[in-house]
Order: sequence, then C-alpha cells, then structure tokens
Amino acid sequence: MSSAGAYRHLFTPLRLGPVTVTNRVLFSAHLTNYATHGVPTEQHAAYYEARAIGGAGLIITEEHSTHPTDWPYEKLIHGFHPEVVEGYRRITERVHAHGVPIFAQINHNGGQASSMYSRLPVWAPSPVPDPLFREVPKAVEEHEIREIIDGYALVSAHCMAGGFDGIELQCSHSSIVRGFLSPATNHRTDAYGGSLANRARLLLELVDAVRSTIGADKALGVRICGDELIEGGTTIDDAVAIARMVEATGQVDYINTSIGVATATLYMIEASMQIPPGYAMFIPSAIRAAVDLPVVGVGRFKDPLQADRALADGLCDMVGVVRGQIADPDFAAKARSGHASDIRTCLSCNQECVGRMGLNRWLGCIENPRTGKESVPLPAPRRHKKVVVVGGGPGGLQAAVTAAERGHQVVLLERHVRLGGQAHVAAIVPSRAEFFDIARNLIAAAKREGVEIRTGVDATAATIRGEAPDAVVVATGARPLRPWWAGDDGRVVDVRDVLEGRAHPEGRVVVVDELGFHQATSVAELLADRGCVVEIVTNGMVVGQDLGVTLDMETWNVKAHDRGIVQSTDLVPMGVSRPGDEGPITLSLQHHPTGTDEERICDWVVCAVHQQAEDSLFHELRNEPFEVHRVGDCVSPRRAHAAVIEGQRVAVNL
Amino acid sequence: MTVDGGVRLADPITLAGVEAPSRAVFGPHETNLADDRAIGRRHVAYYQARAAGGAGVIITETASVHPSDWPYERAPLATECSQGWQAVASTCHAVGAVVLAGLGHAGGQGSSAYSQSALWAPSPVADAASRELPMAMGADEINTVVAGFGEAARLAVAAGMDGVEVDAGALSLLRQFHSGITNQRDDAYGHDKLLLTTQVLYAVRSAIGPDKVLALRLSCDELAPWAGTTPEHAAVFVDTLADRLDLMTVVRGGPYSATAYRPDAHTPAGFNLDLCQTMRQVAAGRVPVVLQGSVVDAAMAEEALADCSADLVELTRAQIAEPNFVAKVAANEPVRPCILCNQACRVRDNRNPIISCVSDPRAGHETTDPVVDRPVEEPTVAMTPTPPRALVVGAGAAGLECARVLATRGWQVEVAEQTDRTGGALRDAAIGPGRTRLAALVDWLEASCRSLGVTIATGREVVAEELDSAREAGVAVVLATGSRSAPPAFSSDASVTVLDARSALAGAPEDLPEGTVVVHDPIGGPIAIGVAEWLAAAGRTVAIVTQDQICGTLLSLTGDLADANVRLQRAGVARERRALLRGAHEGAVQLEDVWTGQPRVVPASVVIDCGQRLPDEALYDARPGTPRAGDCVAPRTALEAVLEGRRRALELCGVSITVNDDSSATPSLAGVMA
Repeated sequence: MSSAGAYRHLFTPLRLGPVTVTNRVLFSAHLTNYATHGVPTEQHAAYYEARAIGGAGLIITEEHSTHPTDWPYEKLIHGFHPEVVEGYRRITERVHAHGVPIFAQINHNGGQASSMYSRLPVWAPSPVPDPLFREVPKAVEEHEIREIIDGYALVSAHCMAGGFDGIELQCSHSSIVRGFLSPATNHRTDAYGGSLANRARLLLELVDAVRSTIGADKALGVRICGDELIEGGTTIDDAVAIARMVEATGQVDYINTSIGVATATLYMIEASMQIPPGYAMFIPSAIRAAVDLPVVGVGRFKDPLQADRALADGLCDMVGVVRGQIADPDFAAKARSGHASDIRTCLSCNQECVGRMGLNRWLGCIENPRTGKESVPLPAPRRHKKVVVVGGGPGGLQAAVTAAERGHQVVLLERHVRLGGQAHVAAIVPSRAEFFDIARNLIAAAKREGVEIRTGVDATAATIRGEAPDAVVVATGARPLRPWWAGDDGRVVDVRDVLEGRAHPEGRVVVVDELGFHQATSVAELLADRGCVVEIVTNGMVVGQDLGVTLDMETWNVKAHDRGIVQSTDLVPMGVSRPGDEGPITLSLQHHPTGTDEERICDWVVCAVHQQAEDSLFHELRNEPFEVHRVGDCVSPRRAHAAVIEGQRVAVNL
Repeated sequence: MTVDGGVRLADPITLAGVEAPSRAVFGPHETNLADDRAIGRRHVAYYQARAAGGAGVIITETASVHPSDWPYERAPLATECSQGWQAVASTCHAVGAVVLAGLGHAGGQGSSAYSQSALWAPSPVADAASRELPMAMGADEINTVVAGFGEAARLAVAAGMDGVEVDAGALSLLRQFHSGITNQRDDAYGHDKLLLTTQVLYAVRSAIGPDKVLALRLSCDELAPWAGTTPEHAAVFVDTLADRLDLMTVVRGGPYSATAYRPDAHTPAGFNLDLCQTMRQVAAGRVPVVLQGSVVDAAMAEEALADCSADLVELTRAQIAEPNFVAKVAANEPVRPCILCNQACRVRDNRNPIISCVSDPRAGHETTDPVVDRPVEEPTVAMTPTPPRALVVGAGAAGLECARVLATRGWQVEVAEQTDRTGGALRDAAIGPGRTRLAALVDWLEASCRSLGVTIATGREVVAEELDSAREAGVAVVLATGSRSAPPAFSSDASVTVLDARSALAGAPEDLPEGTVVVHDPIGGPIAIGVAEWLAAAGRTVAIVTQDQICGTLLSLTGDLADANVRLQRAGVARERRALLRGAHEGAVQLEDVWTGQPRVVPASVVIDCGQRLPDEALYDARPGTPRAGDCVAPRTALEAVLEGRRRALELCGVSITVNDDSSATPSLAGVMA
C-alpha cells in the first residue's frame, strides 16, 4: 500500500518555519537518563538514530538545562557546559544521516527541583514550594532573570554549534517559564507578575533572546501547557492567549502542547492504560483554532490510525508519539510501508519507561529489550541451531522470536491451548486489557519469523529429547503458591484462580496483597464490578505500593472509592477458619506495628502473593546432551520485563 | 581516660601484626562517591581526610564480590576497584591508618534494576522492603560467591590494602544464610547455617594469608526472635568463628529491621553496648571486638573501652561530621557533633545523593570544597594588626557558621541576634522525643564562636541604617535573618486556634487550648512528626493531617519512615492521610480527599501548621544585594544554612566556591596515585 493510502494525513510534509518535515510523526522530548556527568552519550546517539532510521518525521531531544541552579534529577544534561557540544554533534550527525531533522529542547525547571545535586538555592518566580520536591525556592531577583535569559541564549548557541535544526522551549510541565506563567506559582508584584502579559514576559524575552541567537534559518518552537490540572493553575483559556502572544512575536515556528504539571499531575502527562487515548486533544484543537502556527498534539497515541485520525479531524498538525516509538522505533516506517500490523504496540503500562525514569534509572521498555541498548551491538549469530522453547508466555515467546530472527530453527511448545501466559491472565481484567498487547505483539512476531508453534502440548523431557534439539529454552513460568496461613479451605484462592475462571467469589471478599502491584487491585476491581463487597488488606503501608511508579495510583484510588473497595494496611494474615466448611470464613489478621489482632468475616479470600517457580522440567533436563537455559518466572517469579529481557539475552547468546 | 590521663581511643592496637594508630573505626557505608562501580578519586579524598584525622581502621565502601550483586547504582564492584583501593591504601598509609576493603554480596536484599537478572538468595523468600522474589541459589551460584569473595580479597591485598572485612551484617547474603527467616533450605547450607560463611572465610584467608587482616561484620540480632538470628544463635556463631578472625564488628539488623542498623536519634546512642559486651565475652580474647551502633560521643567510646565492652569503637557518623575526631579528642578540643539526624549521610536512595553531613557539608565534597577548618596542630591563626571586621545578623546555624569561619580566619566578628537566644530554627526544633540532639550543632557552633572571640549579642535588633553605617566603617555584613511563618493555606474561625510549629514548640503542650490538636503536615518531614509525638507524649489527643498516603514520607531518606509511623500508632496519634486541610471552623478541621474530593471532618481545637515558611527578607529588601545565607534566602534545612553561612564567609575571605562538582569528564584517579 502506498504511503498516501492508509494514512493520508500522517505521511504528508509540514513546514515548521525554515524546517520541513516529511511526515507528522514526532518523537517528542522525554527524559532518558542516558547522560553521564551532565553530557549526552553514545547511548543517546544510538537511541535517537534508531528512531530516525525508523522513519520519525522529527525528533526533539530531551531537555538541556540552561543554568547551574537547575538540577532536579541526577542525569540531567547540563547544556550550559561547553563539553556538551561534542555529544550534540554525535547525536545530530547520526540522525541527519537518515534525513530526519532534530531539535533540542532547552529548559530551566525552576522551582520543580531541589538543591540536592546543585547545592544551590532553587530558583522560581515566588517562594512557593513544589508539591513533589517540597523545597522553598528563592524568588529570583531581576538580575537573576537576566542570568536565566543569558543561560537560554548560551545553550541555544551550544545547540547550534552541535548541529541542531531547531530549538524548543519547554514552557509546559516542568519549567521556570511555566512557573512564571501560572498564577499558582507566580505571586510576584513586579513587571513579571500579575497580569497574563506580565506573567508571559519571561517567555517572550526568552523567545527574543533565543531567536536572535539561532538566526532565521533554524526553527523555534514553544511548548505550552493547556491545563495544569492544579488549583489556581493555567487553564485552556490562558493557554490559548499565551499561544496568541507567542504567535504575535513572529519569531516562533510552531507550538507544542502538553497537559498537567510534572511534579503534581504526572499521571496525566504520561498517562497509563487507565486514561483513554487522545485525552488531551482539547488543547491543540483549541490552540489551533486561535493561531495559524502548526500545533502539535500529544497524549497516548499508540497506533498510526489514531494519529492519522487526529490530523484528519483537524485537532492538530503533528502528533507526538513517544512511548509508541520507544516500544517500536520503526513505528512510522511500518505504518508508511503498509505493515502497521507489525508495529510492536506500546501497552501504556509505564513499567520500564516512566517507571524507571522516576527511579533515576535509564529508560527501557517492557517489551523492547533493545530500548536503551541500541549502542551495544548484538554478537553475530554463530552456528544455526535447532531450538526448542518450552512455554509461550512473554519470556518463551521473546526467546523464540529472537532466536528465529537470528536464523535458528525454533519450535515453541505451550501446554495451554493459547499463548501469552500470565500476560493473557492479567489482561482479563477489562481496565488492564491493553496489557495483552505484549503477548499479541510477540505472537505476531513469532508467526512472522516462522517459529513453529505447538499449543496444547505438555512438554516432558521425553518429548523434548524426541525433538533432538541443539538447545532448549525452558520458560515454564510459575504456579500459585498457597500461603502457610491459608489452610485447605476451598474458598481461599489465588488471584489466578479468579482470573482464569477456576473460582467465582461472591459476597464479601478479602483480597490479601503481598505484591503491591496490579494483581490485588485489578482483581479487587473486577470482583467489585461483579457485585462483591471487597476489602484489600496488605502488610505494607499502602495498598498497591508500586502503582505510584507506573502512575496508576491516582486512578486506582478513584476507582476504589467509586466501587466502595476498602483498603487496610499494616495487616499480616495469621490464619483462616470456617467450622465444618460452612458459613463465612473468619480471617485472622495481626496489625504488625501494634501487635493487635483483628478479624474479618468474609465469604472468600483471594491471595495476591508470590508464586512458585515451575522449574521441575529445567532440573530434569540439566544432564541432557543439549544446552539448556531458563528464563522468566521459572527462574524466579517476577514481572514481565524480566521474562522478556532474559528471553532475549538467552536467545542472543545461543 | 586511662589511668595516666590519656585517651584510650587514641591507643594503638595490633591486628594480624598490623598496628592501627587508634581504636576508632571508620566503618563501611554507602557514599555514592564511586565512578560508576569503581572506588574513585572522591572516595580517596574522603577516606584520606578521616585517616589524617586519626581514624585507626578505615573500612572502604562495601564492594560486591560478583556481578550478580548490584544493590545500588554506584555500588563498588570488586573487580573494578583495584586502582581505587591502591590509591586509598597509599594515601591512608601515609598517615598511619589501617585500611580494609569492605567486601559483600547483598543477595536478596539487592536490586535487579541494574543487573537485570534474578537476585540470588538462600531460598525464594521475598525481601520485606523491595518485595522482589529472589531465586534460590544452586551449587553453581554458591561456588561462584565463595570464589568471588576469595578473588576480591586477593585483589584487595594485591592493591595494598591491609586486609578485608566480610559483610554478614544487616544487608548481606551471608546473614540471609544465617537466618531461619530467609534460609529455608534442606541441604547442607540449611542444616549448617554458618556453612557458607565458613567457606567464604576459608577462601578469603587462603587468598590473603595469615599476615593480613580478616574482619567480619556480623549481625548478632535480627530483632525477629520467632525465626531470625537471636543473640543466643549469634553467640554460637561467634564461638565458632572467633579463631578465624582478626577483627569482628557486632551489629544488628535483618529482613524486618534493616533500618535498625544505623538508626537516627530516635534510637538511643550506643544501643549495641550489651550485645557487644556479650559477644566479646564469648570471643574471650580470641578476636578483638568492635562496638557499633550510633556511638558518636567520645565519652561513650571511652567508657566502652574502659569497661571492656569493646576493643575498638566504630565512630562512622562521628567521623563523617568531624574528620579530625580522634585528633580533637586527643587534644581535648570540642568536637563538631554528629546529631544523628541521618539527613545527608544515609544515601541508599534511588537518586544517588552524594554522602554529606548537616554539621559539615564538606563531607563527601573534599575534592571540590575548600578546607574550612584549620588542622588541629596548626597554631592559632595569625592576627593581622587590624583584622577585617564583620557583622552577621542572626545567630541561627547559618549566622553562627558564617561567624565561626570568619573568626577562624582572623576576622573580628559580631553576631547580632534579635531574639533572646542563639540557635534559630534548629534550636526551636530540638524538642521532643529523638529531637533534642539537634541542638548540639548550634551549641557547638556557638561555643566555637565564643572561643574564637566572636561577640554574640542577643536581643539586639539591627535596622537597615546600621547596615549602611557598618559598611561605611568597613565592616562586612552578612544577613542570616532566618524565616517567618507563612499565612496558613486554609481559612479558620475563632473556634480553632491556629499557630505555626515554632510558636507551638516555644510553649508547652498544656498551654494549648483543650481538645484535639491537629498537626498539619504538607511537608511530610520530621518536624510535624516531632510535634505530634511531643504532644502525644504530654497526653494530648493528636491527629496528623497529610496529603500523602503515608505520614512523614520524606523520612524514607533518614530511615525513620516506618518507625515513625509505628511510634505514631502506638502513641495513639490519628493519621489523616491523603487529606487536604481546607478549613478550621466550628471546632473542627474540614478535610478533603486528595483524589476523590470526598470531604471529612475531624474535631479540632488547635491546628499546628507545620508547612513551609517564608524567608525573612525585611532587611534584605531594605538593602538589596547584601550577602545572605540560609533561611532568609529560602527556608530549607540546617544543611543549606551551614553550607551557605560557610560560603558567604569564604567569599568574604576571597576563597572561590566551586559549584556543580559532577559536570563534564570523570575526574581521573591518576592525580592521586602515589
């Protein structure tokens, strides 16, 4: 199918001032934590290059800080240091080699920072502490505002020396410019506070300073927040007015948009699968109606059809696809060449991208084990082998796909009639359905790569021997493990028993959460929707403690409230009793901080607890004449990313 | 003091034929000073400062003995450390200290985030903190760990280290094998829980030989008597292992009590004294025993040595705060105190903070921050005929540090304090359980100032015109005027008394109107928790209101988060979580759920607002551009106050201040190699 076929809008050129992009797929700015000692690395260059090869219309790098007072996270690029230019050149040369333009985002995070790394006071318009960092900033004085502007000019000059085609000013979700624009954080009474014109003064002075540094041949964009989603913050009317002011300067070539404040409402910026796609399109559409400049829309664009539709509907002129291209660098190329169904669709699970960012780790992806490792070449495949993979969950599928891609003959045996393992199980809960994309993508890839898939096969040592393999990858997963306190009551069941349809709890249900992730909360949601009265008890201080990492905490708590789900913390189960197996269950609990005993009377108990590795086949095969490896939960039951990484690692080293 | 009046801490001791110049141990701890996973240049400067100040034994940051262990991003890896160890050994040997390489494997208490491989542990028992399920080690993994310890030890002594310390402490694989909680194996390693440790010690001794120091850090109480290692178990361990060791440090902590290893001041100092004494009796002279556990005062260390509780004393945090601890104690000089706040020195945190110290912010920054204090042996600063003069406005931590540093460098300084006492916000905060030690820092600053001849005038208000006349008279001025309370973010009526934390702490709990006291904590920090505990201890009914899901979220850094919540619950403090305080009307506070907007009401006669404060800028606004430090720039913590007070003083002395010490290229070790 030709490019003009399926996605007529996506694959048309667009002028952003002096720069013309060939398509509307933007790899917009996002943190990667790939910098070391404040400078960009080879890891950056290879990462961006992969998306350029994959056909992105435009790349905008992560932010480059403009001043030493700005150091909110460890691996920030210190754009004000001249040492960065070398790293910039490496990035731009590698991206330009594939005909793709690349802009640099420059920024000062203002009060959305702490002094921990910089050992300097944090700068902001007013002494209003940020809700995340909670440090009172220093209200900048007039001479310090000049210093900020000089910093932007300096970093713009570094970016020009580094070969960028344009500059984007992040004024949207974590920025001193946002701080000035927002009535929530700007309480000044001088020329930089009060009216919108005053609050926008810094922005307009920065536009002036940067444009005069970069000249007319380079593009300049401004990223604006359309709704901060905080009390007293910027809303869409202000954003539209700001966009008009920006356009009126005549010095800006495009407007990018965003929603939320990174340190207050991040869950709406990097929305997980709990937030509907396209949720932020009211912003670019309102701005687009007010200005003639091209406007970028963002917000959980997962597939090219959805992006094309946003353009067709006139909501925006260009579409930011970040996680979609983290998961699949070839997102645009596959869409353009009529292979959209081959795209490794992002799940919006936020586990290894957003989740790792928040923990100061390098950016990865749950289903793309090469994300962030583009700069590390894979070893060349050695002798072609016959490989038998046992288990069709994410770990086994990834091993099979990678092995087949590398030229091995691969047979995959799965005991169940369907593939996907626990990814399939997790996705049974309606609000978690997109999690199944990890399996769907892998199954499609396995078929594409010619993996011979046999389902409904209970692989034994004998069956495997019969295959005469050169190598075996055991990916047999895990099975539920009954906790010591659960006894043998048939109404004390595992989450998997419920999701896989072996148990049908009714009435009063207590979910025991010892994992702190989606297992307990999603089964609770499911059961509440089926009419159960649900309470979650956990030994932790919070139910679902890791939901904060994937930005699911807010939506979970709203859902729990709507469904009347009770959340109880600091409780350790001590036993269950149900005399004569009749009537309700008594669940004994201990409140461990105080040592007091509690009870719950309920009809069912559902356990979200650690599973047991299904490793007997692996141990049986250890003395066979072929090489045997194991990956994923049969090593130790963990989360999906571990299975994918291990599947890939083992297959690469076959 | 010894019979002859000397200081026992300064007595030498011989370990495996190597003489340590004092009994003070600088124990292994996370610093985040590594260059990737190598002991780096910043480590060298950090350890050298403590060695020069009289530390007897320095144990470097625990290095992983095998790549399967990568517990935090900057955790040293033994195979990357040879060059760094060599530099540490040569610089520390030059001033006499014994240097041991800390070696360990965190097992199931590590992290898979960096290695991206399953954690290794004796049994598949999830760590209580991370909840990550490790894989049970097979024979291959066990042999790998044993060999890893041996090889790492060989590398360490080849690099010139005097020996190694094997970690079987609160966060270690070896302890996991010792414990019935985490070791549920039914093989030889399950039946003999010391088997792996004895194999490791054998491998290490074989690698280093008899003339190098083999030390062990041993958790002797997991504080989980139902299945964990108890002091009774530990006595057997010590009896079994004593003959193989040259040094043993008695520590505590396990899977449910990792923070009990080096807690903040809510745990009394010297908490391991009895445990250490017991283990020393079991060791019966076969191995010198080190006392560990929040020992930060010289007197306590002396007493432990005098009454034979220990042969050496680990004074890690004391020597972070005061690198010249031993030298100063020996010279009978006052020592800059560790206040056991854990604010900057406990750095096992995803953000990789560089280790530092509220008392001495130069800690961890030795390669960039100028030397502030004169060495002990240096004579009193030479006084010029007309010393430069300074007026410091405000006698809080920032003002006192500024005055102290100026005076140290020969300035004639006056500190003008508006209130009737010194110490500012830090002294005001030093009230309530676990909080009184905070005042030690301002006490020391004040005493140092006075002994250096600084004039401190309390009850003396400075007006703008006086700044002008000072300047005209050639007197430098530094403002350290602190903070003022911010107007509450909620409305109230006369039925509820609203006051800020400092005003509340200035009075007594019984002075407050009768009824429930609501402590409003938008920060999630130690102050509100301290206020709540102070009130509850006085029998008041208390509720603490936070927008977070947990009270005191910022305490995760100091290690007090879980403990603080337990204390609050035991004290009967109601915890109103994920709640925004919208108003204080009609004898109650009106709260709103942060996510659902659901309103709720809690009775209240008093609200104590522990929110962020505003800078007191009155003088600055009157004379903009005047140098200023601490809370009057932006109200933050004592660390920033001390740091900025010091910086302003150094700037007046013409010393340039380097900021951003982690930019551009990695500093090379080459410059410090002997």
